[in-house]
Amino acid sequence: MVRLYTKGLHIGYGERLIVKNLNVEIPDRKITTIIGANGSGKSTLLKAITRIVPQQSGTVVLDGKDILKENTKILAQKMAILPQTPESASGLTVGELVSYGRFPYQKGLGRLTKKDIEVIDWALEVTGTSDFKYRSVDSLSGGQRQRGWIAMALAQETEIIFLDEPTTYLDMAHQLEVLELLQKLNIEQERTIVMVLHDLNQAARFADYMIALKDGQIVKAGDCEEVMTHDVLRKVFQIDAHIGRDPRTNKPMCITYNLLKGDNQNEKMAIPLSSIGAYR
Amino acid sequence: MIHPALRRKQRILFSLFLGMIVVTIIIGMGLGYSSLSYDRLIPTLFGHGTFQEEFVLFSIRLPRMVVTLLAGMALALSGAILQGITRNDLADPGIIGINAGAGVAIAVFFLFFPIETGSFTYLLPICAFFGALLTAGLIYLFSYHRNTGLDPVRLVLVGIGFSMALSGAMIVLISSAEREKVDFIAKWLTGNIWGADWPFIGALLPWLAILIPITLYKANRLNLLSLGEPVAIGVGVSVERERITLLLIAVALAAAAVSVTGSISFIGLIAPHIAKALVGPRNQLFIPLAILIGGWFLLIADTIGHNLIEPNGISAGIMVAFIGAPYFVYLLLKK
Repeated sequence: MVRLYTKGLHIGYGERLIVKNLNVEIPDRKITTIIGANGSGKSTLLKAITRIVPQQSGTVVLDGKDILKENTKILAQKMAILPQTPESASGLTVGELVSYGRFPYQKGLGRLTKKDIEVIDWALEVTGTSDFKYRSVDSLSGGQRQRGWIAMALAQETEIIFLDEPTTYLDMAHQLEVLELLQKLNIEQERTIVMVLHDLNQAARFADYMIALKDGQIVKAGDCEEVMTHDVLRKVFQIDAHIGRDPRTNKPMCITYNLLKGDNQNEKMAIPLSSIGAYR
Repeated sequence: MIHPALRRKQRILFSLFLGMIVVTIIIGMGLGYSSLSYDRLIPTLFGHGTFQEEFVLFSIRLPRMVVTLLAGMALALSGAILQGITRNDLADPGIIGINAGAGVAIAVFFLFFPIETGSFTYLLPICAFFGALLTAGLIYLFSYHRNTGLDPVRLVLVGIGFSMALSGAMIVLISSAEREKVDFIAKWLTGNIWGADWPFIGALLPWLAILIPITLYKANRLNLLSLGEPVAIGVGVSVERERITLLLIAVALAAAAVSVTGSISFIGLIAPHIAKALVGPRNQLFIPLAILIGGWFLLIADTIGHNLIEPNGISAGIMVAFIGAPYFVYLLLKK
């Protein structure tokens, strides 16, 4: 039995349902990546699992408890979230930003204890941001800033970490740097990592478990061999993908792709085409 | 992880503003229509003054200065909180309808209820207080959404709408009223400190004594709220509950202030601004400064305005606007 799963999750903004009747299990101590086209509900799913967006019905269960009934501070000791594009932390130093990650453990006036300071220093160190401790977050480059935010999530000392597109706005080298850091945390400290990724090849390379979403429903969930297939990608992205192998990691990768022509296109266009026919 | 130099700077500035307030009060004690020379201040303070000196100092000047100081502090703190929870640097108690709500309540009470001079002065602030509270409650109700909870942007928009509507209502109310009554209401609207007596201090002080520590206690949460909802929720802040509590604190502070001073704007906007410009956005550092700046600002405005033109002077609210508006323009130009 996994620690974290959803049961019949419906999520929507107003009338529009984005995620419909979703049952998903997040494997413990693994890296899970969620993939899907724009608007497929992957960010929304992440937000619902982390109680940022309330679901309309269904439950998210962590350690046998509905997360909406759990004390939010206790939850924050179990799971941390790095939102897609965090607000600018104007004027704060990196050290301060990271210290905010200790909030779930603080009582009263929120003075930092010795333990807090140790954890903060550790988080700065593993993310390679120790040098920026007293530097303003605004003065950092995109990659450094992102690492600072990750350090804040780490300072929360949670077993589960959620990240919504942690590599956005980063260059190739920095993207890999962030992903390798997360992998290291997963391997060395057995943290469960769940992230939404745009880049399919990165998602396949780093994931133990992949979830492919389309229109708020799971098309396929499993290891990268099961998900990175021509068939699944056709359903999820409407692309005709050529799947090969990464010569270095031997993981499946999408070498090239075309937009689908033929069958699926017709299926997609079925209604407009017939209505055009009617006008004729 | 705050730089020690910044903490030191904040402490120095804090003492500086505290000093300025004391100096302003001392200067203010000797200013006014009746003469009380500066060399008589200390003997009078220690109870060796003549009856006239004591009367002028303890019954006229001191209470007025203490009231303005406290009201300015309350407005500044209220503004700082509102800017924090709405994440909008232009938020101020005026926009959540406090001033307009209190104004309408005063107008209605003043025009339609028979007045007995004895109880009148004390009923009016109570009336203003509940008017402000009611308005804020309505604004909250209209900006609350069942699914998403309290949306700060909506709160600001609904608040501005309400202020406009209530200001309109007030004009309708007073346009048909008698001249003397209109005079009083108009004076209230310009922020004329009228509750300058010890009982009003008693009405104002408890709010500050309770709500300043609570707000400082919540400074960390305010810091987190300023990083956006997802981050705040992620580290375990009960965003919805904190917002409502802080909003209530802000409303209570502003309502308490406005009910004894009359409608005063700009303080809640400018004091937090100056404080943030001096020590940065950390709530635990800038809020104490903002409180002192707000109090000092209103004190100066009233002391100058009060003594500028004999015998009644210029309303503190107008003086604040005189000083505040150019600063506001400067802020806009700088951005």
